[in-house]
Amino acid sequence: MEKATAIVLRVVDWSETSAVVTLFTREFGLVRGLAKGARRPKGPFESALDVLSLCRVVFLRKSSGALDLLTEAKLLRRFRPGRDLSRLYGGYYIAELLVRLTHDYDPHPELFDAAEATLSALGDASEPTPSAVHVLRFEVTLLQLLGYLPQLEVCVECGTAVAPRDGRLAFGLLAGGVLCPRCRPGKRQVVALSAPAWQTLREWAQPDGAARTIPDRKVGGELRSVMNHYINNLLGSRPRLQEYQSGF
Amino acid sequence: MISESVNQLVEQFAKLPGIGKKSAERLAYHVLRAHKSEALALADAIRNVKENVRHCSQCYNLSEGELCSICRDTRRDPTLLCVVEQPRDLMALEQTGHYNGLYHVLLGRIAPLDGIGPEQLTIEALVRRVREGQVREVIMATNPTVEGDGTALHITNLLADLPVKITRLARGITTGSVLEFANKEMLTDALSGRQPF
Repeated sequence: MEKATAIVLRVVDWSETSAVVTLFTREFGLVRGLAKGARRPKGPFESALDVLSLCRVVFLRKSSGALDLLTEAKLLRRFRPGRDLSRLYGGYYIAELLVRLTHDYDPHPELFDAAEATLSALGDASEPTPSAVHVLRFEVTLLQLLGYLPQLEVCVECGTAVAPRDGRLAFGLLAGGVLCPRCRPGKRQVVALSAPAWQTLREWAQPDGAARTIPDRKVGGELRSVMNHYINNLLGSRPRLQEYQSGF
Repeated sequence: MISESVNQLVEQFAKLPGIGKKSAERLAYHVLRAHKSEALALADAIRNVKENVRHCSQCYNLSEGELCSICRDTRRDPTLLCVVEQPRDLMALEQTGHYNGLYHVLLGRIAPLDGIGPEQLTIEALVRRVREGQVREVIMATNPTVEGDGTALHITNLLADLPVKITRLARGITTGSVLEFANKEMLTDALSGRQPF
């Protein structure tokens, strides 16, 4: 019997009263399980298993390949995006990224904390920062913690220091980071990244504090576009919720 | 193997929700033991449902004709429109006996993570119905889940420019329960949804 703190990523109805749930747990990473009776208002789940809810769960691990069996869930916090659809779709997008980029029983406690903090901010109607900024900052943290963050400090090919030329830098989506003028020729899928967008990404990749930087509308739009392309390349396909992400 | 026909029947029963192989075998043996007329009545009932039941052209409830019995009922208040996810939600509300308006069944909820968008539901028909009809109040009775709330919010945004009052089903503590045992979320809902007394 295992206990964990979990974010509910997906709930798929299974029979009249049961559901198959995908959880991102702090202690075990991704967990997929069957929750018998989860759709009943009374019982060991008490409606806790709703998408993006934070809860404490108890489950039985099954042998490889089989779904785990959830036996209990206690709601800690329900996701409440208020009357702002961009916050709701931002939350869905985070869930989709976690499902697609993390693996069963591969824990990432720091990533869990970042996801929980971002969902908490998206669910706070009084939070002044636009939802798009929260989502982008989470994406940078996610890429960093999973080892996919593009190289931003030196040329990804030769390791020499890079600096903007005419206010822009070459960013190789396939190469996985910024490129110096010598390495740029012949590379495929290279975009021109503006100096403010590059600077914002570098600041967000810092471990502390700098993540408070909020880009203006133009830079935010550019970052969204670069991030979309980068994540699509990484996943090999476009996430379903990506088209709903803008918000600047 | 007893016979091919029995195996087929077991296979068909096993496809039903909540029915495993063992239960399917029990049901098949029950059909075998039952009187012929009883077994054929079951087969006829299934055939009738599949051949005669469809969605009401106005509200998308289950119906045996062009319009369902609720839409045909002239005693119901056409200015009230209750939006639900599924026909079974409509049935649950009807069983209360406290609602006399009409319904609109969405046939699902917006769930982008499962690839279900607004275009796969009957939202366009709902907006057209509100725009062209005599509706004064739209009651959002989608489930009180994140996806249900998101669906209600999406529809509310689409209806924002129309002269209709939009309401959401109340939520909070259960009647007959005690505050001490209500959880934090229930109490939050109950407090934010409090009404003049």
